[in-house]
Order: sequence, then C-alpha cells, then structure tokens
Amino acid sequence: MTMLLASAPENGITVIFNTFGVTLPYFVASCINFFVVIWVLKRFAFGPIQSMLEERRARIADGEAKLKQIEAQLAEPEANTAAAIAKAAADAQHMIDEAREGAAVLSEQKAQEAIAQAHQILAKAEVAAKADRERLTVELKREFGRLVAATTAQVSGKVLTTEDQSRINEETLTRVEA
Amino acid sequence: MRFLSSIILVWLYSLPAALASGAEHAEHALPLYPEPIWPGVPITNSMVVIWIAVAIITLFCRAATKKMAFVPGGLQNFAEWVVESLYNFLEGILGPYLVKKTFWFFASVFLLILVTNWLFLVPGMGTVGRIEDGRVVGFLRGGNADLNMTMAMSLTFAILWFYWALTENGIKDFLAHIFAPKGDFKGLMLAFMIPVFLVVGVLEVISIAIRPVALTFRLFGNIYGGEQTMENLMGLMPSKWLAFLPTLPFYFMELLVGFIQALVFMLLTAVFLRLICEHAGEEQH
Repeated sequence: MTMLLASAPENGITVIFNTFGVTLPYFVASCINFFVVIWVLKRFAFGPIQSMLEERRARIADGEAKLKQIEAQLAEPEANTAAAIAKAAADAQHMIDEAREGAAVLSEQKAQEAIAQAHQILAKAEVAAKADRERLTVELKREFGRLVAATTAQVSGKVLTTEDQSRINEETLTRVEA
Repeated sequence: MRFLSSIILVWLYSLPAALASGAEHAEHALPLYPEPIWPGVPITNSMVVIWIAVAIITLFCRAATKKMAFVPGGLQNFAEWVVESLYNFLEGILGPYLVKKTFWFFASVFLLILVTNWLFLVPGMGTVGRIEDGRVVGFLRGGNADLNMTMAMSLTFAILWFYWALTENGIKDFLAHIFAPKGDFKGLMLAFMIPVFLVVGVLEVISIAIRPVALTFRLFGNIYGGEQTMENLMGLMPSKWLAFLPTLPFYFMELLVGFIQALVFMLLTAVFLRLICEHAGEEQH
C-alpha cells in the first residue's frame, strides 16, 4: 500500500498511519466521499428544505400580520358604528332639546296670543257692554222721561213744554241715579 | 415486552456456553485498518459502506424533496423535522448569525456519521465476506471504523475552522483572541499578564492542533471498539447459528453509541467554532 507518509522516515506518525491503514488514496477517497455528502445534502436537502421552512415561516408571519390587519379593520367599523351611534344619539338629543325649546317658545307664544286675544275679546265685550249699557241708559232715560212727563201731564192736567219735560227728566234721573 | 423477556432469557442461558468456548474463538479480531474488498481492487470495505451511506442519504433527500409541498407529509415531513431540529439545536450553540453560515457543514457531518454508524448495525455488515488466510475479510466494514474517514472529516473541519475564524475575526483579532490578555488589565498588571497570556496562547495553539487528532481518534475508537466488541461476542458462541445472541443487548447500546458519537462530533466542532467566533455577527444586532 502506498502509505501517506511513505517517504518520511519511520517515525511515530508513520507507525500510526501504518497501524491504522491510513493511505493517501484512501484518505483522498474519504475526503471525496465526505464532500459528496456535503454537496448532496446542501443541494438536495438543506437548500430546498430550508427554503421551504423559510417560506412557511414568512407565510405564517404574513398570515399573522394579515390577521392583525383584519382584526384592526373589523374593529374600525365597530368603532365607526359606535361613533356614528353616539353622534346620532347626540344629534337626536340636540334635536329633542331644540324641539322642546321650540315647543316651549311656541307654547308661550300661543299662550300669549291667546291671552292677548282673550284680552281683546274682553275689551271688545266691555266696550260692547258699555255701549249697550249707554244705549239702554239713553233709551231708559228717554222712556223714563216720557213716562214721567206723561204721568206729570196726566196728574197736573197741564201740557208740558219741551223745557219742562227736559227739566223734569233731569231732576228725576238725578234722583234715580243718586 | 414478552418478546424482549424471552430474548433476555435465551441470552442468559447461552452466556455460560459462550464464556466456556471463548478461549478457543479468541482469533475473532477485527483489523485496525480497512481491507480491499478483493485482492488487487483499490476499494476498501469501509469505502463501500460510506458509498452506501452516501447513496441512502442521496436517495432519501431526493425522495423527500422531489415534490415539495407547502403542507408537508411523509418523507418531506420527516426530513423537515430533522433539518429544523438540527438547525434549532445548532442555533442554540452557534447563534443565529453563525448557524446560517455553517449549518450545512455541521448537519452534514452529523447525518453522515449517524447513517454510517447505524448502517454498521444492519445484519450482514462485517460478517459477509471472503475467506483469506483462514479468516473472514468482510465486504463491508463500519465507515467510521476507518481512520481515513474520520481523519478526512476532522481535517476538513480544521481547514474550515481556520477559514471561518479568519473571515469572521480578521487576522489581528484572531491572533489577539489566542495570545492577548483577557480582562481589563492596566499598568504593571498588564505588563505582567502579557507574557503569561503569551504562554497561554502557545498552549491554546497546541490545543487547536490536537483537536483534529482528538476528533479523529475519538470517533474511530468508539466505533471500532463497538465493532470489535460485537465481533468478539459473536465468536463466543459454539454454534454459528446462535452467534447473534450475545450481541443482541449490545445492539441497543450501539444504536445509542452511534447517535451519541455523531452528536459529540457535531457538538465539539460547533463549540470549537463558537469559541473562536464569540463575537461573530454581533455588529448585525
């Protein structure tokens, strides 16, 4: 056998190599075998498998990121809906308050109008009553004067003049009113 | 369980007979070196086993990665589990930066050693062969029971270790890592520590030089020792048909040894690299 250190003097290393059968061709062949294994594993095993693992890891990370994005997107409409509901509630409250205020103002206005109308009606009624009273008073006075004059004429047998009638009427009215 | 207990019982019954006949079968010894599978053919029996291991690994890888699916199943699932487990394990030792650069080497070393070691346990390994000078020369011999193979792996690692150490540290930091004082020394203390650490550096250089030798002989010794034990145990039985019995319990131990030796080789090489590239990739974080 061609020993690895055949040309070297018979030293310890040579003895060891001779004992264990270490030879240059066999050593080179072993190195080649080892490199072939490394190449095969790197080319056909570690390369594709690590790429696949990396791709899977990336896809899982991507999926998780998307999931978070979807959760955020789902949470966003919920927040929007809640905000819209809150806004609608605030608007509705505002409208109710406004309506209440409007209703109160209108009610007050209508009440004032009604009061004013009532006052007007009362005033009109008072005026009408006063006019009626005055008219009736005038009529009463006239009728009373006529009756007094007629009675006086019948009692006294005297034909009363216009001045007499007026004087008797005034005296009688003054006494009645007193 | 019943099967196991029956095996143990048969094994215990056969033990005295085996021990009694041990002396006359003492010639069962595995040579320390690989032998040509046929006289004049420059192919050794350990080389054949390595080729078979390479073929098995290649075929497995091709089958596992031929139709890569995003949802793995069968062989792809198993291959991914192996690769991912190894990667995570090595990442714990080397760190995320170094493992990206060096995973291919450490994982290859582990798988080749493991497959080769376990291949030796397949029945027929070491027992099928030709008769030469009254003894059986096996056509197949444990791949790592050949110093050529273990040395090829160790020296390859030693070269790569230098390459990675120099590229990651630079020559100045590489030498400083070995010879410079470690610690915050100043003034007189620093002057005292410089020669101390120079001597420590020389010891470190010797240690670095011994590492491939230690790796080579540790793996070879353990695997050869296992094979030798099995060989001797098989020779203890009076009948060839019962030769398997004494070795049976050791098969389980050899399964464990095969795995542990692959792990030890990978672990030690990874730790050696980590020690010299302690700060590699730190600037990236």
